[in-house]
Amino acid sequence: MSTELYACLYAKEFPAQALLRLRPELHGQPCVVIEGNPPFERVCSLNTKARLLGMTLGMTRVEVDTFPEIVVFLRSSQSESDTRNVLLECAGAFSPRVEDCSEEGVFLCGIDIQGTRSLFGPSEMLAHSLLERVRGLGITARVTIGRNFHAAVCLAKGLPQRIPIKEIAPGEEAQHLAPLSLKVLDLTELQAETLALWGIYSLGMLAQLPEKELIARMGQESKRLRQLARGELPHLFQPVEPRFTLEERMELDSPVELLDSLLFVVGVMLDQLILRAKARILALASVTITLSLEGGGTHSRTVRPAQPSTDKQLWIKLLHLDLEAYSPQAAILVVTLLAESGSTNKVQLGLFSPQVPEASQLDVTLARICAIVGEANVGRAVLEDTHAPEAFHIEPFVIPSGNPAVITPPQSRAAVRRLRPPERTSVTFQNSRPSTFYFRDQRYCVEHAYGPWFSAGDWWQQILWAIEQWDLVARAQDGSVLCCSLTRNPMLNEWQVGALYD
Amino acid sequence: MTDTYVELHAASAFSFLEGASQPEKLTERAQEIEMPAIALLDRNGVYGSARFHTSGKRNNVRAHIGAEISVSSFGQRLTPPAWLPHQYMAEPSRLPVLCESREGYQNLCQLITQFKMREKTKGEGAANLVDLEQYSRGLVCLTGGDEGPLAAALMRGGEEAGREVVQQIIRTFGQKNVYVELQRHQEREEEWRNQAAIRIAHSLKLPVIATNGVRYATAYDREVLDLFTCIRNHTQLDHAGRLLALNDRRYLRSAREMQDLFRDIPNAIRTTRELSARLEFGLNDLGYEFPRYPVPDGETMDSFLRKRVEEGVIRRYGPTRNRALLEKAKKQIEHELTLIAKLGFAGYFLIVWDIVQFAKKHDILVQGRGSAANSAVCYALEITAIDPVGMELLFERFLSESRGEWPDIDLDLPSEEKREQAIQYVYQRYGELGAAMTANVITYRGKSAAREVGKALGFDHESLQRLSTLVSHFEWRGPTDTMAHSFQNAGLDIQHPRIAKYLDLCMRIQDMPRHLGQHSGGMVICRGQLDSVVPLERASMPGRTVVQWDKEDCADLGIIKVDLLGLGMMAVLKDCLELIPEHYGDKIDLARLPEDREVYGALQRADTVGMFQVESRAQMASLPRNCPKKFYDLVVQVAIIRPGPIVGKMAHPYMRRRQKKEPITYPHPSLEPVLRRTLGVSLFQEQLLRMAMTVANFTGAEAEELRRAVGMRRSWERMRNLEGKLRTGMTANGIDPATQETIIQNISSFALYGFPESHAASFALIAYASAYFKVKYLAAFTCAILNNQPMGFYSPAVLVKDAQRHGLRIKPIDVQVSDWACAIEHGHNGSLSLRLGLGYIKGLRKQSAEAIWESRSKHGAFRSVEDVIARIPLLNRKELTLLARSGALNNLGGVQHRRDALWQVERAGKLEGPLLRHKVELLLEQSAVSPLKQMTTEERLIADYACTSLTAGKHPMAYHRDDLQQKNILSADDLKRRYDGDYVRTAGCIIARQRPGTAKGFIFLSMEDETGIANVIVTPDLYERQRLVVTGSKFIIAEGPLQNQDGVIHVKATRLQPLLHQSLEVRSHDFH
Repeated sequence: MSTELYACLYAKEFPAQALLRLRPELHGQPCVVIEGNPPFERVCSLNTKARLLGMTLGMTRVEVDTFPEIVVFLRSSQSESDTRNVLLECAGAFSPRVEDCSEEGVFLCGIDIQGTRSLFGPSEMLAHSLLERVRGLGITARVTIGRNFHAAVCLAKGLPQRIPIKEIAPGEEAQHLAPLSLKVLDLTELQAETLALWGIYSLGMLAQLPEKELIARMGQESKRLRQLARGELPHLFQPVEPRFTLEERMELDSPVELLDSLLFVVGVMLDQLILRAKARILALASVTITLSLEGGGTHSRTVRPAQPSTDKQLWIKLLHLDLEAYSPQAAILVVTLLAESGSTNKVQLGLFSPQVPEASQLDVTLARICAIVGEANVGRAVLEDTHAPEAFHIEPFVIPSGNPAVITPPQSRAAVRRLRPPERTSVTFQNSRPSTFYFRDQRYCVEHAYGPWFSAGDWWQQILWAIEQWDLVARAQDGSVLCCSLTRNPMLNEWQVGALYD
Repeated sequence: MTDTYVELHAASAFSFLEGASQPEKLTERAQEIEMPAIALLDRNGVYGSARFHTSGKRNNVRAHIGAEISVSSFGQRLTPPAWLPHQYMAEPSRLPVLCESREGYQNLCQLITQFKMREKTKGEGAANLVDLEQYSRGLVCLTGGDEGPLAAALMRGGEEAGREVVQQIIRTFGQKNVYVELQRHQEREEEWRNQAAIRIAHSLKLPVIATNGVRYATAYDREVLDLFTCIRNHTQLDHAGRLLALNDRRYLRSAREMQDLFRDIPNAIRTTRELSARLEFGLNDLGYEFPRYPVPDGETMDSFLRKRVEEGVIRRYGPTRNRALLEKAKKQIEHELTLIAKLGFAGYFLIVWDIVQFAKKHDILVQGRGSAANSAVCYALEITAIDPVGMELLFERFLSESRGEWPDIDLDLPSEEKREQAIQYVYQRYGELGAAMTANVITYRGKSAAREVGKALGFDHESLQRLSTLVSHFEWRGPTDTMAHSFQNAGLDIQHPRIAKYLDLCMRIQDMPRHLGQHSGGMVICRGQLDSVVPLERASMPGRTVVQWDKEDCADLGIIKVDLLGLGMMAVLKDCLELIPEHYGDKIDLARLPEDREVYGALQRADTVGMFQVESRAQMASLPRNCPKKFYDLVVQVAIIRPGPIVGKMAHPYMRRRQKKEPITYPHPSLEPVLRRTLGVSLFQEQLLRMAMTVANFTGAEAEELRRAVGMRRSWERMRNLEGKLRTGMTANGIDPATQETIIQNISSFALYGFPESHAASFALIAYASAYFKVKYLAAFTCAILNNQPMGFYSPAVLVKDAQRHGLRIKPIDVQVSDWACAIEHGHNGSLSLRLGLGYIKGLRKQSAEAIWESRSKHGAFRSVEDVIARIPLLNRKELTLLARSGALNNLGGVQHRRDALWQVERAGKLEGPLLRHKVELLLEQSAVSPLKQMTTEERLIADYACTSLTAGKHPMAYHRDDLQQKNILSADDLKRRYDGDYVRTAGCIIARQRPGTAKGFIFLSMEDETGIANVIVTPDLYERQRLVVTGSKFIIAEGPLQNQDGVIHVKATRLQPLLHQSLEVRSHDFH
């Protein structure tokens, strides 16, 4: 007889449970989790209270809003992954061998508990303590125990909700599994269709089919299914391996306010990160520093130089400049450094290639500029594809590829000097055309007016825009001539001198 | 009038996604701003010109015709400079041309046809200089706005290049026919081009002309244009950038606005008036000529027609040996022939006769209908099978000298394939440029609008799917049936600004043209060159050409058309005509079916499932009341259950009068001769004409205009004008206002679907034939109708159950005997039964079925499942499973039941590799008996419906009868024995759900059980409460008081509940 022994931990409605775990005050209330882009979000998970109210999976936001006093959360993969880690860690306390078998919306893990009797008592006792620990974490779950890993998993998935713990006595796997629906098997569409056509609806019925004949019809995969249904499928246990994350977290003994003392700590942490990265022949591509602040806030910054680097001094300098520009607003309690790894610099400089600034020095210079003018203001300006005025965005500098397109202006035109910001003015009209206006304390009489030029757009947005422009040739009392462009915002009826023509 | 301005460059929505207003809107707006004339120049066509012309006439605005022609020789159209990010695609620039004379119009049509016929992908074609030179006469050319060649040249090569292009245009069109166009949309970039254009015009001594390059009627419509731009470029509003309009100035501007804009160039405005005066051509001067039929030397068309008719008279009336009838017919024919000769329509009749002859020669059943079809001449020419003399159906509206209307004959043909054969014959006979299909303008409707607008607003795929399925198909538009309401029902927040804008745009693009399709069967034929009357283009179907106008446009402009329509019932009749002699030994002539009491008996009982035109629920509810006893009763029956008569409150008076429950009265004594035959109630279009002529002294032509106006959806306005005229006429005849109101109500109710008596007669003939075949030759009729699905009102499942109730044995599909089609089998006792065909197995390929048939006929019956698989390697696993599941393999050796077959099929479908195959002993199965259990009755039913959508076994309800009886739930048959007012409970399978526009939101459910069909009425109230049950449940228990009036039985439901929760894939006919 097999000496293997497995416990299976199963928690359904995981998105909801994950979010409610750290919110015990909401346990008595109906809660739903929605996902999707507004305004088309749909319910993806809910708690029992909400289900009892008549809510179902797939309801839209508006339908949800028709229920009074419902608590609505947005789905958070972060909280799910955190909770999963917590649960795996919890399971890991009972055995070093834990396998994560989670599925969409469900947490499921198998624990190899063979030989734990002397530590945790009989398996049922272990199940009780496991459930208790899990409950303490704020999660409702179920534990099944069996000598066959898959039997335990299937049973966990198929048991009615009211049974929290079930142990399969040795040799009774098939008996326990027989009444379960085929849904617990993750059949392919084709398998499900074939079995339905055959009138096979439960694991018991599947287990009854003669093996050779079944394989002749549905292939080797059906052998596995039949074994599953009989609780006989052997399992190759695949324990979870800790994920490689370059993360260091340090809780400070006392709140730190000075940047220099912080950088001392950061230096030590960076040493560790760089060491771990180097061990895998990697460099740090970016470092995110997250500071938990006094009063509950966090302050998070990410530094990403042009090339991955293992130069600790460079990182210290970049982080220093960044934090100087964006300093935290309160004392720091916890520091977390999360680094992304990248491959080390592979560029080999040629003997005769032109000398370029050293990448790391350029990074430091750019970071210095960023610290002064702000990140959004460093890079190259790129026009946007829109009629809206002044529409451009800043793109980070990139190394150009290929030859730049040669642009020749079609013909010579008058030069325009844009006034930034535009200067407000007041205008008087005659026959719906500008006749006089004031500019820089001078009164100008319009001699020639060209326009008005109209443009307007974004009518489908909440904020639309419109602009009226005139090109004017005007003369001041002292005889000086001014060629300028006047703009009006029709929404505000505000006049401005927007540009001067040479 | 020195201050007028004429817009000579406007585009409508018929520029397909480059214009945002209907042509009618443009003329209406022109009238509002007192513009005396306006020119429509759509992209590469005159698609909107007919509607533009007609609405121009109505609004008293001269409609100039022209087009913007893509010309490849002038280079690409203007795009933003390369240094500005934009997504413009390369397109040829477009030259605006205007028709000065008829010759110009004909040239324009030929020019467009020439390059359209050349184009490989739709909408990509462009003319070249050679085409332009060939067809330049009579056309006036403008230099265009930013889509034009001048703007593109100026941008490309400055003033020098611009001058060269204009000189090229002058060389093509002549110095006098070129105007340099100036547009001012208050865009800065445009003005330097204008200044350059003025200098070029001055140097070349050309006049300048102001236009506004109009793309929509009012500034607000710019939003629609932007939306269309996104649809055209497959992008979203948020990403379209510079593709969108810079501002909203391309609307139809008043003279005052234009003068203000061009105050520095006043002669540009003056030129618009001068050019408008120069453009003499209007679409009323089309130059269309009747088609001619080629006759042998020494014959005229009239003499040739007379000879053919005389031959026909002998053929048709000779065998009846009724001298009086023959004399009467000859007299009628003489009258008709004289009229035809006088009006010059002989060619038309000969052309239709020629098509009918072709059909007869090629064994295609054909039946004509329409105003001219039900004439003695058409009967003699075998265009129809209706003998108007013998049946005393001489219609008022045959042809009239005074009405100026064209004859109208539609030909019904059995199927798509046969119809295509006839259409190709017409092409071949009249040449590619002599005949074409009429177009069908595909417009944005609920669903397509919802989809496209959603895409443009950037909704994700899933939401779009959901939104477009939401848009309801219900005919009835109740207070809660708005788009907004269905959005709310689906859980969308209509307060959300994007959703609100979405709704708004969806509504605004309703009915806007989207692209041009082809009409299913309307063909126009012209003497000589059809392409000089209207441009032709290639249809997406190979070998077809389409004109740029739809059916109504063609009719508006007096172009004769012949409709070649596919009618499923014709195919059924055709099959019956073959099956009946083969299996019953009777000879059948459609033109001489006897009047049969048994047939009328079935009609009177409303036992009409499957019969043409009289099978719908509404028809069934009125048949027992109207109690048809002779052919003309059927003509009325076909016409009466239609929205027109029902809305006009004419159906019920007719029924009551027919039942002698109310006296026969006439709205006015003068109308008695017109309405006598229909018991004082106006039912037919012909009567409408006569009424208008009698009570309001309308001339024939006016009455015809009225008929056309009420028959069209888009002519409410025209209707209003005519109504005024009608009232004046009636007042002059001393008819009191109350009577006037009744008469107007009678006439305007035709606005929905007026029905001509002559159509009704042709339909009635087909209806009678179908009834006759069903009653007398049930096996043949059922076989024919099952082999010509989909058609008619009911699904094959209902037809099969109905045939079974009438005593026909239906045998299940069997791989040992079934062919692809259903077939008739002879029993030992001479009885006939129907064998379902393999074609009814959904998912089985026709070639597989043919392979089964071939193998069976060559090598005899199959011995086992393995034998089937070995002999027909073509069958794939899915098909074998389908055959097994549907029970078609049950008669093979070694097969005990369907699951057994399924078990064997899976095994046999998976042979071992060659390595193992000779180790037979290893592969032997332990037991020959399948380990699977036989299907339960319910599982078998589910399998039947899933595989074939029908069952040859018992009706699903029959299995529950005992249980239902215990619960006091009645069958459809039981209901007949209950009294009016009894409170009853009944249950059945829903076969049809209807919510007719005429029924104020009431819903009618047709419920079938093993005994027959019961009708349930659902009030709007109950529907609101039990929406899900009504629309979602397949089997329903309904309870409420019974209405049993005149043999018409309904249950007026007060409560509904779903009955069975099994997953039968039963199909119903919903909300059509």
